[in-house]
Amino acid sequence: MAFFGLDRVSRFFNLIKENGGFRQSLYKLYRQNDLKSGTLVGTDKLGNKYYENNEYFLGRNRWVIYSPSLGTDFDGSAVSPAWFGWLHYKTDIPPTQKEHVQYSYIDTTPSPNPTGTNKAYIPYTTGKPKIQAWVPPTRS
Amino acid sequence: MATLLRNLGRSTVNKLIAWDFKATLKPAIPTILAGSRNAASWYPDEKYFKYYDVPFLWPENEELTEEMKKMTSYNGILVPEEKEVQNMMLNFGPQHPAAHGVLRLVMELDGETVLRNDPHIGLLHRGTEKLIEYKTYLQALPYFDRLDYVSMMCNEQAYCLAVEKLLGIEAPLRAKYIRTMFGEITRILNHCMFLGAHALDVGAITPFLYVFEEREKLMEFYERVSGARLHAAYVRPGGVALDLPIGIMDDLYDFISKFGERLDECEDLLTSNRIWVQRTKDVGIVSAEDALNYGFSGVMLRGSGIKWDIRKAAPYDAYGLVEFDVPIGKNGDTYDRYLIRLEEMRQSLNIIEQCLNNMPPGEVRTDDAKIVPPKRAEMKSSMEALIHHFKLFTQGFQVPPGATYTAVEAPKGEFGVYLVSDGSSKPYRCKIKAPGFAHLAGLDMVAKNHMLADVVAIIGTLDIVFGEVDR
Amino acid sequence: MAALRVFTISRLVPQDLLRGSRPLLVSSRRSNYKDVSMPEPDMSYGAITERAATTIFWTELARGFAVTLGTMFKEPCTINYPFEKGPLSPRFRGEHALRRYPTGEERCIACKLCEAICPAQAITIEAEEREDGARRTTRYDIDMTKCIYCGFCQEACPVDAIVEGPNFEFTTETHEELLYNKEKLLSIGDKWEPEIAANIQADYLYR
Repeated sequence: MAFFGLDRVSRFFNLIKENGGFRQSLYKLYRQNDLKSGTLVGTDKLGNKYYENNEYFLGRNRWVIYSPSLGTDFDGSAVSPAWFGWLHYKTDIPPTQKEHVQYSYIDTTPSPNPTGTNKAYIPYTTGKPKIQAWVPPTRS
Repeated sequence: MATLLRNLGRSTVNKLIAWDFKATLKPAIPTILAGSRNAASWYPDEKYFKYYDVPFLWPENEELTEEMKKMTSYNGILVPEEKEVQNMMLNFGPQHPAAHGVLRLVMELDGETVLRNDPHIGLLHRGTEKLIEYKTYLQALPYFDRLDYVSMMCNEQAYCLAVEKLLGIEAPLRAKYIRTMFGEITRILNHCMFLGAHALDVGAITPFLYVFEEREKLMEFYERVSGARLHAAYVRPGGVALDLPIGIMDDLYDFISKFGERLDECEDLLTSNRIWVQRTKDVGIVSAEDALNYGFSGVMLRGSGIKWDIRKAAPYDAYGLVEFDVPIGKNGDTYDRYLIRLEEMRQSLNIIEQCLNNMPPGEVRTDDAKIVPPKRAEMKSSMEALIHHFKLFTQGFQVPPGATYTAVEAPKGEFGVYLVSDGSSKPYRCKIKAPGFAHLAGLDMVAKNHMLADVVAIIGTLDIVFGEVDR
Repeated sequence: MAALRVFTISRLVPQDLLRGSRPLLVSSRRSNYKDVSMPEPDMSYGAITERAATTIFWTELARGFAVTLGTMFKEPCTINYPFEKGPLSPRFRGEHALRRYPTGEERCIACKLCEAICPAQAITIEAEEREDGARRTTRYDIDMTKCIYCGFCQEACPVDAIVEGPNFEFTTETHEELLYNKEKLLSIGDKWEPEIAANIQADYLYR
């Protein structure tokens, strides 16, 4: 089978099965331009799913499927900082195996790049105003 | 007209003159036919004559002269005058994709032949040289990345060597090897860019795609040592910023052992390809004499057969410790320069391998605390180191008064830095000698009387980057 | 002009004379230069036939096509970006962040070294004494559109307060959104602290 390349046919059907049938596969193809099969490594708070399959070359062997809540409006910045290092090949240990540092102030609420939304950052000064408004003296 | 009508009204038939037009027109026909353009022309046919084969009226009080009977063609009436003609002036760029950035060429064309090229530069001028006068020696460093932005580390190297020469210090051996190694990585980066863009200009898209894949890998090496893929700010006066991270030498070895094969692929596509040969061979020939007179350097000089390479003539860093050959061309045409750059890439692989094998252990920065900021651990534990740290990052280090011209063999040619110090912590003057500037100045000489499409190939072979030309 | 004269003289002078003087003039041991230009075409009958055959049968074009055809069967080297991402190193210099101590106290002590070293003068700092007597910034602005990401600020910082974090996906639709102030920088630090700490941990031996 493998010699004639016929195993590819069964692999193709397996791929579709793993991706949840024809309808789901078509949707994924539309959303991700790609159909891949891999093992689920973990999920982050937003619902992004992280996969790995080392049959692909480095650069393609780890990937993220963005949370369905994002629809087709996904963005690279939706990856949570905890998973960032693993997804960018900085470390081979996913945060499910080894917890990152945890301080009380660390903000783990998922926050994709807010530009273009009404949550976008607007600069303001944090310093004291240099000019004080003149307060007219009141006649007592 | 009024007379004519009045005469008709009187119906004086005796004044009617029948005229045989056919006879009158006969001498006029040859003048109509003898058009000099050989274009399709109309000439009178039988139907045309039949239209005039009728009696017609003529006013009685006007005499029909012989002059009037002769029909002259319209062109015959015109008085020949001398016309001022001008060759077509064409603006090539600054948005032209083959103009390599923001080159604006004002060309004088005779048909498709280029009579004159007038490069208009300055569209990317940022005043780097003047800005550097107001920066400390360390702050001036990132400006050099942005000069020739496809061979970043070579520019940094030139600047750091100049500062080191003024300071009278030398980088440790390991730093020298690292600089040499990354200088050669930069050379491959640059020549990859050259090969891809040049082939793309000439019409081959495929090598561009192959070569940019390799560039991506090289930029990853840049990123691993310095943290930036392009503007590294890695080479510092007195060494390099940080030591090589663990594992990079293995990956680099892996890369150089495979890169030659990818070069072979590109060579299979180009070197003997008849289209490539026809587009590059005997195009843009630079004689050795012209190359010297126009101040060319690097490949533009070696392509014409002049044996000159600063790495050989005045070895800096670890170039005196590694063995390599410098490719030389004979014909001085675009094709030879292409062959030279390919061979230079192979020699670079050779140099990188030697650097990897001979990489000595040790420090990567000089131990002069007055010049090189302390390591972080030391800075946090030692008061003296902290004071040095503060001094170096606010005031910077003082450089003894003096002037130097230090040049390196950048991938494009001789990249020189003329640095004048007045003893303060900021350079008094920093003049940058960019190879691309001299090459662009010679464009008119090289591309004269070539076809318009060849000028594109010549711009490619000059390997111009506007960051350094405009500075 | 001088160079030209030197060159032409060297051509005019008999080669034997120059050969004798070479050890005095040049210090290199071997020539180290190699001619890479194509040799003159061989004009023997066999070679001409060979070239004619190459031209007629398009052999060199066929070789080029074979290369592209071979590439067709290779796995594509591209990655599907927002889903798959390229490798980064711990040294990567991305979006700036202001860090805190584990207690939640901000690290920056307003020494203004980063402001001093910044080659693009993108950092603006104003400092004042806080109620408890500690010296802290009241204003810490970075104009991210001026910043050239050279990393000098994080090298200068004596308390590791300002760092260039790993994030590079912070593009905005307006210019204003890139004028970061202190609170924005602190919030970036709060978000990215796990990754920043891991980077510093990975690289501390080199720094």
